[in-house]
Amino acid sequence: MKARQRQLLWIAVVLIVVLACSFYSANGPQTTAVLAGTVRAATLLTLGALCGMIGERSGVVNIGIEGQFLMSAFFAFTVTSITGSLFMGAMAGIATGLTMGWMLAAMAVGLKVDQIIAGTVLNIGALGLTSFFYDGSRSLGVGKYTNIDLGSLADLPLVGTVFFSRPPITYLTMVLLVVVHVALFRSVWGMRTRAIGEHPGAADTVGIDVLRLRYINVTLAGGFAGLGGSYLALEAVGTFSRGMSGGRGFLALAVMIFGRRSPFGAYAAALFFGFTTALQNHFQLNSVFDIPPQFVGMLPFVVTIIVVALSGLMGSMRDPAALGQTYEKG
Amino acid sequence: MASKWRHLLAVLAIFGLFTAAACSSDDGGGVSGGYTIGLVTDTGKVDDKSFNQSAWEGAQNGAGNILGATASYIETEESKDYANNIQLFLDDGAKIIVTVGFGLGGATIEAAQANPDVLFIGVDQWQNEALPNLVGLMFPEANAGFMAGALAGMLTETNIVGAVLGTDLVPPVVFFKEGWENGARYTNPEVQTISTYHPGGLDVAFGDPEWGATTARQALDQGADIIFGAGGATGNGALIEVAGEAGALCVGVDQDQWFTVPEAHPCLVTSAMKLINIGVAHLIAEAYAGTMEGGNYFGEVGLAPFHDFDGVVTSEMRSTLEEVMAGLADGSINPMP
Repeated sequence: MKARQRQLLWIAVVLIVVLACSFYSANGPQTTAVLAGTVRAATLLTLGALCGMIGERSGVVNIGIEGQFLMSAFFAFTVTSITGSLFMGAMAGIATGLTMGWMLAAMAVGLKVDQIIAGTVLNIGALGLTSFFYDGSRSLGVGKYTNIDLGSLADLPLVGTVFFSRPPITYLTMVLLVVVHVALFRSVWGMRTRAIGEHPGAADTVGIDVLRLRYINVTLAGGFAGLGGSYLALEAVGTFSRGMSGGRGFLALAVMIFGRRSPFGAYAAALFFGFTTALQNHFQLNSVFDIPPQFVGMLPFVVTIIVVALSGLMGSMRDPAALGQTYEKG
Repeated sequence: MASKWRHLLAVLAIFGLFTAAACSSDDGGGVSGGYTIGLVTDTGKVDDKSFNQSAWEGAQNGAGNILGATASYIETEESKDYANNIQLFLDDGAKIIVTVGFGLGGATIEAAQANPDVLFIGVDQWQNEALPNLVGLMFPEANAGFMAGALAGMLTETNIVGAVLGTDLVPPVVFFKEGWENGARYTNPEVQTISTYHPGGLDVAFGDPEWGATTARQALDQGADIIFGAGGATGNGALIEVAGEAGALCVGVDQDQWFTVPEAHPCLVTSAMKLINIGVAHLIAEAYAGTMEGGNYFGEVGLAPFHDFDGVVTSEMRSTLEEVMAGLADGSINPMP
């Protein structure tokens, strides 16, 4: 990161903290409600973005995140409903995500199918299969994941509720952000992963098995989407309903691009998207402005278009060079 | 070798697309040569545990009362398919077609005009001009919302009541909300009402439980202690979220959601019911008997039983509720002034 960018980032962070504090002193409960809603809405998008990011850094586009979410949510729900254990359900969700990731890898890497088509197959397949097998009379049986207070941290004003009184998958997501960041930018695996996304030919000449690493990465990445599906069914909602992912898998891709395919960037972008949702609700709940809800609902998308277009114009945002291309060993 | 595999996969992918397309309008049951009653849902699902499910129950009950009649349904995946899905039943020779939801209004009128021999029942579809073979099944949602709101106004301890709603693009949702807010103010002038609509379009507004849950939490965080969830799966998400909050109450919609959303038992004090199932079954019986009149038919609304919360609703509250219901019935209370 350039010094100037770093400077801008710090200014933004300070500004956000000052604004949050001043709003909090003006109206505590409402500020807390908005920020808690922001963090909550960001979790699923972040998990989806992590899944997409690992794939794209290795040169494989994954537009099947939506399908991975939905299928994992379905299995997480069903397994919890049968076993009565949220933990088993969450594991089943992750396993489903890994399997879906493996299927994407098998098609896009192994069989060299067009990556967009492969992702689409996952999306359509997940929607059809879950709709067909969903049994409306089934329910979770146990309550969904509840908040865990992190000791005295949870008693802090504002940040206590917003960050330290959260359900387990949300905490896990925050930990995974750090793990993926370190792995991607500070480990041998990360360097190789970025290499096969930028210049697979060069990576191959130094002895990296490009196809094998892509296979592994796309499969592993599916685990994050699987965790996202578990989050959706077991932590966010507490049931399954057909098509419940509601386009968030695609939104996660926007979040990933907005966040420049880096974990913390993606989290910041996800928080921004979450914030617009929470703010939209806040405006309506308290009748702040009398504008149609659909108008505020479209804001995150408009901002994404502007940001992506601007960074494209300024040349500061660049896709991995080998993104979307199949690799043939030459 | 590689290209051979690719071809095979392409074929498989195309096959997958076709099967998926076939799934996207899945039939509810086999269509026989007998008396067929077809039901076309809006973009909600037939097992949405509220609106569409109630209509489907009505169609099944209606068919059950007619010897040799079968009911089947088609779920609409995208709003552009309304007319196509109705046409599928026409091609099958259906005698009665029930279309569920405000969104299908236009397509239903066109189909009714083009097929004078088939009888149509349009749930939530107001008919400006009466067609002889089309009846709009309407409900005074504002009354149902008002009753639920009146109860909420008496039950709230924080004097903040919340509502998490489908979209304001659908008039019945707006009526529920306005009735709910006015009802709460009627019994509790101090009350603050906080309500929010889903920001998406018709395609997602009733199928987004995650938004419903997040929004309900936001309302709880703002101090609301009783929340009305009205909007298919979106509203169900809100109910389940409230169930996780100790001491908070929730109100369901359309059906008695005690039976359809068991996860909401810890909070579900009542539901603002539209008796769609009874209305649909009644109109099907009329249609079969040949006594159905075109135009609009008003179904009934009411409050669901209090179930576990029977002890929470005091006799004082009950008598106030009875006054409210009487006032709504004789017109002395206007739910949407």
